[in-house]
Amino acid sequence: MHPFAYARPTSVAEAVALLDEHGPDARILAGGTDLVIRLRDGTVRPSLVVDVKRIPELRPRIDLVGGVLMISAGSVMTDVATDARVRRHFPALVEAAEVVGSVQIRNRATLAGNVCNASPAADTAPPLLVYGAIVVAAGPGGIRRLPLDELFVTSGQTTLARGELVTAIELPVPARRMGATHVRRTRRRGHDLASVTLCCAVDDAGVTRLAYGSVGPRPVLVIDESGVLADPAAPDEAKAAVFEQMFAAARPSPRSMRASPEYRLAMLRVLGARALRTAIARLGEGAA
Amino acid sequence: MSEMSGAIPIELTVNGRRRALEVAAHHTLLEVLRDDLDLTGTKECCLVGECGACTVRLDGRIVDSCLVLAVEADGGEVTTVEGLAPESRLSRLQGAFLDRGGVQCGFCIPGQVMAADDLLRRNPHPSVPEIQEGLAGNLCRCACYEQITEAVLAAAGEEER
Amino acid sequence: MTAARVGAAPRRVGGDARVSGRQQYVADVHLPDELHAKLVTLPVARARILAIDTSAALAVPGVHLVVTAADLPQPMPRFGPQFEDRPVIAVGETKYHGDPVAAVAADTKDAAEEAARLVRVTYEELPAIVTIAAALDPAAPLVQDPALRPNDPLSGTNVLREHRVGWGDVAAATAELVVENRYTFPMVTHFAIEPHAFMAAPDGEGIAVWSSIQHPNWLQKVIARLLGMPLAKVRVFAPDPGGGFGGKQHTKYEPLVAFMALRAGRPVRLVLTLEETFQAVRRTAAEIRVRTGVRADGTIAFQDIEADYLIGAYADIADRVVGKGSYPGCGPYRVPDARILARSILSHTVPSTAFRGFGNPQVNWAVESNLTEAAIRLGIDPLEIRLRNLARKGEAFIPFDTPCDGTWEQAVRRAAELIGWGMPAPAGRGRGIAVGIKSGPTTGLSYSTVRLLADGSVIVYAGTSDMGQGARTVFAQIAGQELGAPLDAVTVVMGDTAVVPYDQQTSASRSTVLMGNAVLAACRDIQAKLRAMAARLHGIDEAAIVVDRGVVRLPDRELSILDVLRPGLGRLGGELIGNGEMRKDAEPDHPLGGSAAFFEFNCTAVEAEVDEETGDVTLVRYVTVSDVGKAINPLQVRMQDEGAAIQGLGHTLMEHYIFDEAGRIRNLGAIDYRIPTSMDLPLEMHSEIIENEDGPGPYGSKGMSEGALLCVAAAVAGAVRDATGVAIRDLPLTPERVWRALRDRP
Repeated sequence: MHPFAYARPTSVAEAVALLDEHGPDARILAGGTDLVIRLRDGTVRPSLVVDVKRIPELRPRIDLVGGVLMISAGSVMTDVATDARVRRHFPALVEAAEVVGSVQIRNRATLAGNVCNASPAADTAPPLLVYGAIVVAAGPGGIRRLPLDELFVTSGQTTLARGELVTAIELPVPARRMGATHVRRTRRRGHDLASVTLCCAVDDAGVTRLAYGSVGPRPVLVIDESGVLADPAAPDEAKAAVFEQMFAAARPSPRSMRASPEYRLAMLRVLGARALRTAIARLGEGAA
Repeated sequence: MSEMSGAIPIELTVNGRRRALEVAAHHTLLEVLRDDLDLTGTKECCLVGECGACTVRLDGRIVDSCLVLAVEADGGEVTTVEGLAPESRLSRLQGAFLDRGGVQCGFCIPGQVMAADDLLRRNPHPSVPEIQEGLAGNLCRCACYEQITEAVLAAAGEEER
Repeated sequence: MTAARVGAAPRRVGGDARVSGRQQYVADVHLPDELHAKLVTLPVARARILAIDTSAALAVPGVHLVVTAADLPQPMPRFGPQFEDRPVIAVGETKYHGDPVAAVAADTKDAAEEAARLVRVTYEELPAIVTIAAALDPAAPLVQDPALRPNDPLSGTNVLREHRVGWGDVAAATAELVVENRYTFPMVTHFAIEPHAFMAAPDGEGIAVWSSIQHPNWLQKVIARLLGMPLAKVRVFAPDPGGGFGGKQHTKYEPLVAFMALRAGRPVRLVLTLEETFQAVRRTAAEIRVRTGVRADGTIAFQDIEADYLIGAYADIADRVVGKGSYPGCGPYRVPDARILARSILSHTVPSTAFRGFGNPQVNWAVESNLTEAAIRLGIDPLEIRLRNLARKGEAFIPFDTPCDGTWEQAVRRAAELIGWGMPAPAGRGRGIAVGIKSGPTTGLSYSTVRLLADGSVIVYAGTSDMGQGARTVFAQIAGQELGAPLDAVTVVMGDTAVVPYDQQTSASRSTVLMGNAVLAACRDIQAKLRAMAARLHGIDEAAIVVDRGVVRLPDRELSILDVLRPGLGRLGGELIGNGEMRKDAEPDHPLGGSAAFFEFNCTAVEAEVDEETGDVTLVRYVTVSDVGKAINPLQVRMQDEGAAIQGLGHTLMEHYIFDEAGRIRNLGAIDYRIPTSMDLPLEMHSEIIENEDGPGPYGSKGMSEGALLCVAAAVAGAVRDATGVAIRDLPLTPERVWRALRDRP
């Protein structure tokens, strides 16, 4: 690895100042499961690595206050997947967090890092989008909140400004009953990067939320308010037509080693239909 | 400010022993364990967090030490395979690996044993799928997986049905 | 006290060190004053080297040496087990993506890495051949300099060699059904969890070399020749490798590291990254065209096989892989007329080398799949067609080779029974069955020395490499049984050419038979000395004394070995030294240089479910049965068979190199090259063995450990075909490939 300087700020303000000062020459180190790989292969060459894990507000913490679940930026996949409140209110997020790499990876990879990395294949992005996640960011201009959907630009790029870092992800506890699931396609049963990653949720008002990733430069959220998808009695052709509209934005990369665009687009439809059936069934079972 | 470069002093507890040393920011915990502390039981293979050969216990959880910078472990508690059984005796788990044929070339084994040890602490009576999932981050090319699973079951006190 | 019985399954010798992290692999060995080396490679598949500027690299603090072709003896020294075609470092041209053009040695790894980045190579990218079709194109550039094989009519082509084997008259043969298909076998890599590691240090007037090598004596020979040193001045240390599978059989970067050590006057160590191992070793890929003639009653009339194997830019042992691997290509059957043409075809790719199965899995994939198709088209059960044609014990199914040496039908029937063949499969599931054979070693030479020490403990010297197959334990069990010593009183010394007598190599599943017999012979030598000792002590004729498994039987009583040894050695003490040798000489007229010492035989049966919407193949039940003669250590045998099967699932379901249009490997490393994990196992796995004690090894054992890999793909594809009706003839059977085949079915 190329050498770099290392900073370990102990407050958000200190971190913001460092990031603002160094701009693209600094990289945030949280879990390290993406960054360290890139440091090793030379695809990033920061002069400064800013370790945010000693900042008290960012330490792993999950709080439920006023109907909003707050997941601090330092919370790792293991924390998220094992938390009773996440399991109760956001089961599809648990399903996604549980397939991010291995136990070893999940013990380090942070939820915030997974989204800030802006990989189109980030497995937690689809459920976070479906559940209406809000990103809390601190920067030189203060603190702001933005819907996760507004964070992603393209592969590797977010709307975070110079000096900004994510301090937490907030999830409003769903107001309605929902059935939701996360599914994905991989090359083997063992842990793998997804060639399609998808979350589908159906609520008791007949609204279907679907988010998919790894079939384009960023994860995509689409919502069906017609009620057609959520209706167990609606004919398959009608659902297929809605799916076609939802998947119109899918643009899988022709350069991918994991799967061809043709296969990905086909699997998007297969997974969408399967996830929908599961979501409807779970709603029917009284799942949260 | 708090920018550090060159030789950064860190202190960590490794296998119960307090160690103080100086490390470069870009050196991983894996490199420091092997090269600076002569603990060569933890192995280098893929260096991208896929194979698990570098698995160690850090602050109560197993991690791929190739993806942890040594500086991140400052103030932390590390257990490596050498620390699993005191005074050169083998733990029940290590004995089970040998009894059940879970060891062939042995290169992945330190990582497998660390992962299995962790699994049994969290889940003292795992099912076969839970074992497979718990050790999925440890590749074995000799493909001893069946025997490793049996070893973990045996160590947990279950016999494979 | 662990019993050292043959047929028992004691804890692996060397196991304690492995589970506690104390086992020293090459990369764990450090010498004072060592320098760290780093290779410099180019980001292209093939290039003409125009200039190398090492000045910036040499200026990095801590760098001692930057070596290029110009720093090595002129003309460039070359090596290779079959052809001495491989330069110690690239000269004039890099011939594959990853071919090193320079190497740096520095005080620290950081300095070596930085310096390696600063070596400036001026090069011109050249067109690279990475497929069989490209290599065979008459307009294709030649991979190898024709001057390296001046009297070879093929030297103006990229065909390195043609291997022709056959009998009868295929051209005149007829059959009611002819099944003709083309199959492909992918390019895959060994991916041992221990990356190759090497170290060399000046040692007096000689040199000491550490390597993860499977053939220490072979390496010693190569180094001695290249450095111009006597063998006795070249010491090879070969710590147990962390997985070999054939990828560590032959010399790779040891000569380079040796030259650097001598130049620097200090130890130099080189540990490859995983990515670099993908660029150092791989299996030979292949395209196989098979024409199988089958009569209406299901008996095989003829086999006509053309196998094109894509080898790398340097031959390594790949041509032998092609010749030996294709040779029993017709399979373990009675085939009246046969023609096999196998070609090794050079390409600008990583040199392919030995890999478990040694060229057999490629042809097996094609021939077994073809036989299953023949069965289906004739309306005959795929199990039945195999039983009908299977060679019987003693039959010379390959006319000029070792006859069938096992009751192979037993393994087939047992596998069929275990999978439930003949009983209706649950809906949506299919079954496949296949068999495989592989020729054991055709020549061989192993020496062993055994020392029986004054207290009855034993030291065994055996030059085999224990890379996980458990050779150490097998030899300890043999010696322990023959000399009555418990396992924890037996030490096995391996991996040091200064101390351990000659062993030709560790390959072809040979070591239990060849080295095992040498160990046995050394023990028998000691037993003879014990008999002489007892005869002297008790005034009895030697011929009346029998030494059997640690017991000395006199006409009127039995004594323990110690009861003879102690008085026999007397006040001066001492020990008994036994030497043993097992030799299999070459047969000059034989197409392979020698007939097979034994055959490995395996039957694999699979039950699978296919998710037709996604192409996912789930192996519901997997059965593998091998004919092993005698399992010296049944647990280790099971581990080898199941391990081989799962390894075979790699090339069957998920492994393959991915190239870009310029011939560069895209999926270097563990993220995009997928091998089976603990979650990729069949839901149920059964392995069994057939033991008829009919092998040439100790106690009737045969070699094993490759058999269970041979027919994995054909069995799995057979199950997929049975479940879906679709034949797929290219590997791996990734979900996408299966999905496509299902989508495109007529």
